[in-house]
Amino acid sequence: MTNSNHLALLVKISIIALITCAISLPSFLEVASPFWLLPFFSYWVIYSNGKNIYTAAFILGILLDIIEGGTLGQNASALVLSSAFILNVKKSFFVSNLTTQQVYIFLGSIIYLIIFLLVHQLTQDLNFKWLLLLSPFTSAILWPLIRYLLAKLKQ
Amino acid sequence: MRLVKLLLAVLLSIILILLDTRFSYLDNFKRFTLTLLSPIYIIVDFPSQVIDWVNDKGADNENLISENDYLKGQLIELKARLQTYNNLALENQKISALLDSSYEIPNHNVLLARVKSISQSRLSNKIVIDKGSNDGLALSQLVVASSGVVGQVMQVTPLFATVRLISDPTQFMPVKNSRNGIRGITKGIASNEKGMIVEYVPLDSDVKVGDLYLTSGIGNSYPSGYLLGRVTSIDNSLDPSFLSITLQPSQNMDQLEMVLIIKGKND
Repeated sequence: MTNSNHLALLVKISIIALITCAISLPSFLEVASPFWLLPFFSYWVIYSNGKNIYTAAFILGILLDIIEGGTLGQNASALVLSSAFILNVKKSFFVSNLTTQQVYIFLGSIIYLIIFLLVHQLTQDLNFKWLLLLSPFTSAILWPLIRYLLAKLKQ
Repeated sequence: MRLVKLLLAVLLSIILILLDTRFSYLDNFKRFTLTLLSPIYIIVDFPSQVIDWVNDKGADNENLISENDYLKGQLIELKARLQTYNNLALENQKISALLDSSYEIPNHNVLLARVKSISQSRLSNKIVIDKGSNDGLALSQLVVASSGVVGQVMQVTPLFATVRLISDPTQFMPVKNSRNGIRGITKGIASNEKGMIVEYVPLDSDVKVGDLYLTSGIGNSYPSGYLLGRVTSIDNSLDPSFLSITLQPSQNMDQLEMVLIIKGKND
């Protein structure tokens, strides 16, 4: 893949991820739904040799912050730090089976959730809902489907 | 090198968080970027537009006639109620003139909008409406529905706007008790999406369960006199100085289809 191909894939994935994030779901599903940006972005980190991963994570996070109307930098910091984890386990991702990959996505989502809640607590009163704890699970559960769909897109 | 890049990205994020929470330098950047991103909302909204269009086309004649009859009935009923209201307004004007009072019943300029989606963020309660700055919408305008206040416009793009609901824990609104005018400030309750609390009401205040709270208009941010909710419980044991008053919003946020944006006073 050339650099322009990596970039094109990132743009496609970003558009799909942002559209998915903007879709409104019933209240309880919204809270428990995956942090969509993370598995989508993780796919790009793992399956393309794109450079400037943290810059891309930062920009994507900022765009999501603006769409959600939240604090600027909240999703950006969460995505940057969780993609640092994904980048660390990138090599073992290729040789892992699907279940192990799901565990990595689960751990990445937990990092995302912790940073997300921490920033929320520091900037506003923490509006905690227990269903939020389900989001790392739903991210991991939906990973095979996301991976399959993005693989089709990559082709 | 990778660590430096990571630290740089984290540092930039922290700077942005600080700038965004403490200052308003980034508001124009946010507004501009949101305008650029507005096609995303058009794409997200497209399926529901198609469904609405199909439903409109597919609605049979008989249903439309019965709905029309029902709406005519509602219109007559509302006109009859309005006559009483107009009489009261006239009466009020006469009394105000006699008392030399400067109070006027406000006549606000309103704009009707359709709700496109409810909440796009897991930690806040918001709706997206199909009117934007092209229709004259501006930040901070009050949004109401048939039964009461819905929220406040918090983001505006040319084609749509985002409204933060009154039940959001970060939405504060100055209010007054309709019975005796005791003032306070409402905010949403994080643990209960459909509840609000009234803060800063002194312990010895005369507040009863069932009292109604209206917008007070203090600070000129919002027009006064719009219904917010009814008192469901009062607790004086949580704070040594203030009452803890819980409100049930008068407007059911789950059934929102159309809302009115209060744009300002008619001349």
